[in-house]
Amino acid sequence: MATADGGAYSYSLTVFSPSGKLVQIEHALAAVSQGTTSLGIKASNGIVIATEKKSSSILIDDSMLEKVAVICPNIGIVYSGMGPDFRILIAKARKSAQAYWKIYGEYPPTRVLTQEIATVMQEATQSGGVRPYGVSLLVAGYDSNRGPTLYQVDPSGSFWAWKASAIGKNMTNAKTFLEKRYNDDISLEDAIHTALLTLKEGFEGQMTEKTIEIGVVTVPTLAELEEGKIGGVTGRVKPTFRKLTEEEVRDYLAL
Amino acid sequence: MSAFHSTKPGFDFSNANRNAFLEGKGVKMPKATSTGTTIVGCLFKDGIVLGADTRATAGEIVADKNCEKIHYISESIRCCGAGTAADTEFITALISSNIELHALSTGRKPRVVTAMTMLKQRLFQHQGHIGAALVLGGVDATGAHLFTVAPHGSTDKLPYVTMGSGSLAAMAVFESGWRPNLERAEALQLVVAAISAGIFNDLGSGSNVDACVITATETEMLRNYVMPNVRVEKERKYGFRRGTTAWTREKVRDLIVSEEIRPIAVIAGGEEMDTS
Amino acid sequence: MSIMEHNGGSVIAMAGKDCVAIASDLRLGAGAMTVAMNFEKIFPVSDRIYLGLTGLATDITTLRDRFRYLVNMFTIKESRTIEPSTFAHLVSSTLYSRRFGPYFTEPVIAGLERTPSGGLKPYIAGADLIGCLNFAEDFIVAGTASDKLFGVAEGLWEPNLGPEDLFETISQTLLNSVDRDAYSGWGAIVYVITPEKVITRTLKGRMD
Repeated sequence: MATADGGAYSYSLTVFSPSGKLVQIEHALAAVSQGTTSLGIKASNGIVIATEKKSSSILIDDSMLEKVAVICPNIGIVYSGMGPDFRILIAKARKSAQAYWKIYGEYPPTRVLTQEIATVMQEATQSGGVRPYGVSLLVAGYDSNRGPTLYQVDPSGSFWAWKASAIGKNMTNAKTFLEKRYNDDISLEDAIHTALLTLKEGFEGQMTEKTIEIGVVTVPTLAELEEGKIGGVTGRVKPTFRKLTEEEVRDYLAL
Repeated sequence: MSAFHSTKPGFDFSNANRNAFLEGKGVKMPKATSTGTTIVGCLFKDGIVLGADTRATAGEIVADKNCEKIHYISESIRCCGAGTAADTEFITALISSNIELHALSTGRKPRVVTAMTMLKQRLFQHQGHIGAALVLGGVDATGAHLFTVAPHGSTDKLPYVTMGSGSLAAMAVFESGWRPNLERAEALQLVVAAISAGIFNDLGSGSNVDACVITATETEMLRNYVMPNVRVEKERKYGFRRGTTAWTREKVRDLIVSEEIRPIAVIAGGEEMDTS
Repeated sequence: MSIMEHNGGSVIAMAGKDCVAIASDLRLGAGAMTVAMNFEKIFPVSDRIYLGLTGLATDITTLRDRFRYLVNMFTIKESRTIEPSTFAHLVSSTLYSRRFGPYFTEPVIAGLERTPSGGLKPYIAGADLIGCLNFAEDFIVAGTASDKLFGVAEGLWEPNLGPEDLFETISQTLLNSVDRDAYSGWGAIVYVITPEKVITRTLKGRMD
């Protein structure tokens, strides 16, 4: 019988419960919803992804913690859930992006990279001897084909494109907040402020540049794009994703 | 990328047996494009200047009159390549890619020795079969560094270096002109002179001078910095009158999809279309 | 004799003003013996990209199929058409993966590249048999008549040729070059790619 703890069907994660659920995936989602809140907002001229960086003790040196990760010059990821699992996915995503670059001479479009990560996460729901990844991801990136795009990937390996989304603790509240605040022609600057306001809703303790991490995708101008193409064989295109420095985060918080 | 390419790392040898058989039959194996090349690098007061010519050759034929031999490794590390053109292109791309991964996972700026070690290890693993002779230079947290990497994986660390078929001509310039603590302009001038010596005295080198100045604060890629061999403009045009070439068949494929909308006449007495 | 000369054949690509052209001869030989005069060496990759392959005929057909597969997979997985520069890198990396057991072919790529502002720009590239790319602004040659093609094209090519003038220039360059090459000839085929249309013309050539 399917009970609250999964009962007999929770031993092997590859076994469906009679109600058609894979309870290990449900448990993984529970792990995600215990994680700190992360969110992403797509603006008219870019994307912001942000997260709360919380350490369990003041004795922890939090300068080592990294929750917003650069994958390649045009893509960044933030997560909610289990840190160690995220690290593994980041390493795989970065390798995948470099493998793509070595074949095509350009970095992967956001959707292709997202699909690649989602495939890795799906395999962990169908293989023997493993457990699903205990993370949800927000993948933000820019590519010439689709422009700026924001995706959410869940432990099941399913992924969707969003205009704005939140994951982790308080995600329901955060999403409701975003639904109220969001409009299609929001600017990146406004989106960053909305992101901070949303995080503030469920924030415990002080919001500082040490406890907030922000990454932004900026849509390059036509002139920048043309320049990138002319850059030649050895010239590299200007990165479109970057993490905000602590100084920049402090300035946004002060406003 | 599993759906696109074999996920196996390393080279694919599945044609090697066939090719060895053909070679055994006495068939000559074709030659790949090589960069006869003059490449140089020298230390100066604030960093490194790298230089290269722009000729690629296939036997005695000039295959490319303006190729790029100064390859990107990272923002402040660059690498000049001589030897088999494809090898220099791909080994620098590979190391550049690995350096980027390394920089992302360590969160630090990459070092020149790291790139040098990665290059020499890969070249040594392949026992000289990857025909890349390199000049690697850059500036990192530990200062400015300049190396040469030979195809078998041996390396040198020197204040001024040359490589390729024009290396002797270029080295002659360095030996007589280089001194410690050169100013930026002096170093750049010396590199231009060294590459020019290769361009004009070595048949494997030619066309233009590419240069790259790397300092702690910025990297300046000076593509076609000097162009001493610009082709003189043709005095007359040699265009053919239209209709010169006789052809037997023509097929034109239209790439523009055109659509024509023809309104259908309302059938008399028919019921009006429900458009709600 | 080198394996690259066994079947004979040559390809040339030229850039014009808002257009590109790619042309090849039609001979298939077995050494000095001609066995076919309808062996095409240029294949469409997408609406706006054509790929020319010279060298060993068996490798030409193998690679043609392989690139068709790779481009179809790209199109399906990424739901977008491949750009010429992306395709050139795909060709390059595919050839280099067989660095120590190469296909005996030298590819030539001609196409129109989408610019960030939405326009189309001529793109031509060539590679050696292990995938070293050669980006040229004027012309790319390959095959048994490549030495002659280099010489003739160097004399006849000029910048900013329109589709019809480019057709005459590339056709005359090819025909006159293959006439001095024993292993190429027996008719020729020319593709002129413009933003609006692709013109394919089969040329009359010497049959000796």
